[in-house]
Amino acid sequence: MTAAGFRRGLVAALPFLLSNGAAGLVMGLTYKGLGLGASHAILFSLLVYSATAQAITLSMWASPLPVAAMVVACIATNSRYLLMGAHLRQLFGGLAPRKILLSLFLLADASWLMTSSDADRNGPDAGYLLGSSIPMAIGWVGGTALAYAAPLATNGPLKLAAALLPTMFIATLLPSQWKNAASPWPWLISAVVALLVSHFVDPSWSMLIGGGCGTLVSMMERTDA
Amino acid sequence: MHDLDVLGVIFILGLTCYAMRAGGYVLAASMRDDGIAARFLRLAPGNLFIAFIVGGCLSGGLAGLVGTMVALVTMAVTAREWVALSAGFGAAIATSAIAP
Repeated sequence: MTAAGFRRGLVAALPFLLSNGAAGLVMGLTYKGLGLGASHAILFSLLVYSATAQAITLSMWASPLPVAAMVVACIATNSRYLLMGAHLRQLFGGLAPRKILLSLFLLADASWLMTSSDADRNGPDAGYLLGSSIPMAIGWVGGTALAYAAPLATNGPLKLAAALLPTMFIATLLPSQWKNAASPWPWLISAVVALLVSHFVDPSWSMLIGGGCGTLVSMMERTDA
Repeated sequence: MHDLDVLGVIFILGLTCYAMRAGGYVLAASMRDDGIAARFLRLAPGNLFIAFIVGGCLSGGLAGLVGTMVALVTMAVTAREWVALSAGFGAAIATSAIAP
């Protein structure tokens, strides 16, 4: 973990202040529309710090809060972080876990990709991971806070945009997931089961049951690539 | 909904997400890249995303369905998240204006 790597990552990730800021702003507006206070929304973006997990759990928001379903959804949708973490261990094999656990708090898809790419060019450097993670986190959390500070009301088109954000955001992730699928059947089964089950159980559980059935079918297919 | 309930959920979800982030690094020695667990972790998100989208489209009505489809197709073509989201929002707003 070097200071040079930290600086290199920090500078390379500066554009994420804007892009993550814009995304965080929309997420903040969604929280605002939901009636969540500023401190809760900022804490959500800071501690959970995952657009996917936040979008999924937002759509499950109900009274009483379906905590168990939310946790299962977080685990399932963020399981990719387990693979990213395992890959980082291969890169930084010599580095004790306690020295990188803080950096992992800010691990994001983009910082992992950038760190992997930088390791190919300049050799593995955990400083780069931490440096590149910081602008991304500041953008995301700052954008969420800005939604409350700016005089933006969640009505009209903004209300519609905020309501549809979780579903649309998840839809934009599908093309990248397609490369892992061997055929369209598991996805079709996920959709049909979720649709059928939604008549009998809470929507949050119908998503998990549908996705679980599709994953089982995926696992039974001969190859996954 | 009580503040403490919301705070509790935020902390639980935060802890869960951190466990996923740190777990891979800590458990890497016992996880083979070509093993069943790794394969499951690669395949689960796509299936869950599809099931999630079905639920979202059901509750979002026609505007939600059109917006989501436009966002998906635009992302597949451009590979740019913000272009896809903007196109999706535009399509959803247009649909809600035509068929409220």
